[in-house]
Amino acid sequence: MRAIALALLLAASLIVGLTLPAPAQAPKYGGVLTVHPLTAPPSLSPHEESTIATVQQVSACYSNLVYFDPPKRQESLETVIPELAEKWSWQDNYRNLVFLLRRDVKWHDGKPFTSRDVKHTFDMVRGAADADAKLRINPRKLWYENVEAIEAPDPHTVVFRLKRPQPSLLLLLASGYSPIYPAHVPLADLKTTCVGTGPFKLKEYRPGEFVEYVKNPDYFVKGRPYLDGVKWIHIKDRSTQIAALQAGQLDVGGSGWNKANAETAKKGKPELIVTENDSNVNDNVLVNFKRAPLNDARVRRAINLALDRKAYLVGPRLGAATFGGAMQPRPTGVWGLPPAEVATLPGMGDPVKQKAEARTLLAAAGFGAGNPMKLTVSTRALAIYVDTASWMVDQLRQVGIDAVLEQIETGVWHPKMTRLDFQVALNLTGTAVDDPDAMLFENFRCGSQRNFSGYCSEEIDRLMVEQSQTLDRARRLKLVNEIDRRLQADGARLILGWGKQYAVHWPRVKAYPQHENSIFNVSRFQDTWLDK
Amino acid sequence: MRGYVTKRLLIAVVTLVGMSMVIFVLMRLAPGNIVDILFESAGYVDQADKKQLERELGVDRPLVVQYARWMGEVARGDLGKSYRYDMPAWKIIKPRLPVTLELAFLALLFSILLGVPFGVLSAARQDRPLDYVLRVLSLAGLSMPAFWLGMIIILFFVRSLGWMPSITYVSPFVDLKANLWQFAVPALAVGYRSSALIMRITRSAMLEVLREDYIRTAWAKGQRGTLVVWRHALKNASLPVITVVGIEFAFLIGGLVVTETVFNLPGVARYLVDAIQLRDYPVVQNLTMFIAVVVVLANLAVDLLYAWADPRIKYEKA
Repeated sequence: MRAIALALLLAASLIVGLTLPAPAQAPKYGGVLTVHPLTAPPSLSPHEESTIATVQQVSACYSNLVYFDPPKRQESLETVIPELAEKWSWQDNYRNLVFLLRRDVKWHDGKPFTSRDVKHTFDMVRGAADADAKLRINPRKLWYENVEAIEAPDPHTVVFRLKRPQPSLLLLLASGYSPIYPAHVPLADLKTTCVGTGPFKLKEYRPGEFVEYVKNPDYFVKGRPYLDGVKWIHIKDRSTQIAALQAGQLDVGGSGWNKANAETAKKGKPELIVTENDSNVNDNVLVNFKRAPLNDARVRRAINLALDRKAYLVGPRLGAATFGGAMQPRPTGVWGLPPAEVATLPGMGDPVKQKAEARTLLAAAGFGAGNPMKLTVSTRALAIYVDTASWMVDQLRQVGIDAVLEQIETGVWHPKMTRLDFQVALNLTGTAVDDPDAMLFENFRCGSQRNFSGYCSEEIDRLMVEQSQTLDRARRLKLVNEIDRRLQADGARLILGWGKQYAVHWPRVKAYPQHENSIFNVSRFQDTWLDK
Repeated sequence: MRGYVTKRLLIAVVTLVGMSMVIFVLMRLAPGNIVDILFESAGYVDQADKKQLERELGVDRPLVVQYARWMGEVARGDLGKSYRYDMPAWKIIKPRLPVTLELAFLALLFSILLGVPFGVLSAARQDRPLDYVLRVLSLAGLSMPAFWLGMIIILFFVRSLGWMPSITYVSPFVDLKANLWQFAVPALAVGYRSSALIMRITRSAMLEVLREDYIRTAWAKGQRGTLVVWRHALKNASLPVITVVGIEFAFLIGGLVVTETVFNLPGVARYLVDAIQLRDYPVVQNLTMFIAVVVVLANLAVDLLYAWADPRIKYEKA
């Protein structure tokens, strides 16, 4: 009897032992994380650049007032955490945003961090008349146009005074594009060096070669970072990136890779860990609203219907994309159209029927077999653009449009887009934050510099402002969906799909941060560690 | 000799001035300029700010003024400022020069060490199995682009040894062994193609010389085969080989774009392409001028080497 009881006890403890979660591995200190970025950064000054390359490679050096929690994969208002701000509060019905700052923060050169640095940074970015410095190029001025004044009543308090309520301001401040700059360092110096308050200090920057950081021993988060350093190595050739990862010279790869690249890396070294994430970068077609016959709604709809989205998914995107409207699709996106509605968008239906409807619309607009519409599809001369644009030319030809491809060199691409010097163009668009204030104003508002299709609707502009100041989340989502619905109906930008992104790393890399709805706000690396 | 060199140097200066004009005009003929690229990719364009930047960079001035300013800076040894990186162009160019020079030098060394002996052997064993093997090897070398061969070698190393040359530049003054490992593979890949060319030129020149009367006389006198081939014949066959080596060196300085990219070597050629795409005029102009100077000097060195190879050449009468 005693033996049976003992056996039962043993069995029970075994079952309990097996069902309990394994204890989490304790992080280890040491090691230098080697990563390759998308490209070499044009400078180290994120406030003066609009490329992921800069944000990616300087985030480890800087801190924000607030930041998106690195381990939480979906960025939203709920995942915003304090960084240089200890806490914040909205006052006066979301017209004033008050931050109380940490008192234990030092810049990498030893000077104390104060509210003066915050005021200096955002007065400069919003282009305030009395700012003590001026950015030579200021890509995100638009983000802060609702800020009326920034006050620093004492060294540890900052108040953002707004013209109207704007709950999303907090998300914009949490972006990798919103680090705090030191007021005591000349702005020009920050293009080639980095004086921040972040977990890593700049060790060496060689343009086009690498950006290397060492651990900041005075980092204000005690016990962090775990790594001794981070090195971003610039490797231009995709095959060399894959080989370097497989040879172990890189710990992490995948920036800018497509599915085939990730699979190739994994095939060569099966122990590599591949993570596929959604992203807030979409492939879209710009239809020039200022040029006939594209200013005819029938022609725009015909083009939209001609582009079979399922063929896009299996063709240029190799099965790695999701479908949606102007906002990143749910569930990884926060503001996307309901999935059932996405399935009814132009281009999502039966391709035979949709192409037939496209031909009918073109005929109604005066184009047919005897008078085919001639269309130049412009795109940037980079593989990721050209693949999709070539597919697009083929789709347009299937409905009788005489389409040809025009490849534009990178240096001329943006000026050409800004001048609306094209008929239709295949473009990629990403925003730093998955939020309507970041996406809609920049890309769809009348007269915006990045409204590359020339679309303009006063009603949409009014709705944009309305959603921006709506405090009730559910009501705001309804408004955003309504705007998205109208943008799709108008063909403001024909969204083909939202591409997936890849991170490929060795098992030794732990707590490597990846977000599902932004690639811009994840590279602080304060919690990342190496198990070696 | 001195007169000849002086005359050649004067011609070189005129050539370089002509080159500078061509480079300058070609860059300005390309659509797009740096200010457009800097501003319009950023999305927010304030026209007053844009004009201000054009003034700062001097791109609003007439082309003649811009050219004169560049020449003045070059004469003072000032290479200007990189528009893109906002730092002195020399600071960007300087660390890249030794990388390209080392790669070009090692590649040339490989190509001479392989190409000349194989060319001589191939000629000396004409239409025998060794000749056929070497000719096939040389044809293969000419047919395979260096970057493709380089990538194949990298993949071979990665797959079989789990190793590849360092992807960040290692200076020979920091770690000579690691530096040589890093450059050995790309130099071999590039050098193989050049060696194939040198081998074919050496072979055909040797075949011609080996049929000369004085070679037949040497054989008839009973001189050792190696002495006849390697001393008498090779020296007399070396004129076309020297020419090709000189041209190859000049080509290698500017022609290593893809090899530098594949092996991730931060050299001049790779950076030049980036700078052209960004319309970074000071960097492009000065790097291209550097390549032009190397080509001119390489040609001069080749001419001077002719006198060593063939004492009948008298420069004073040239």
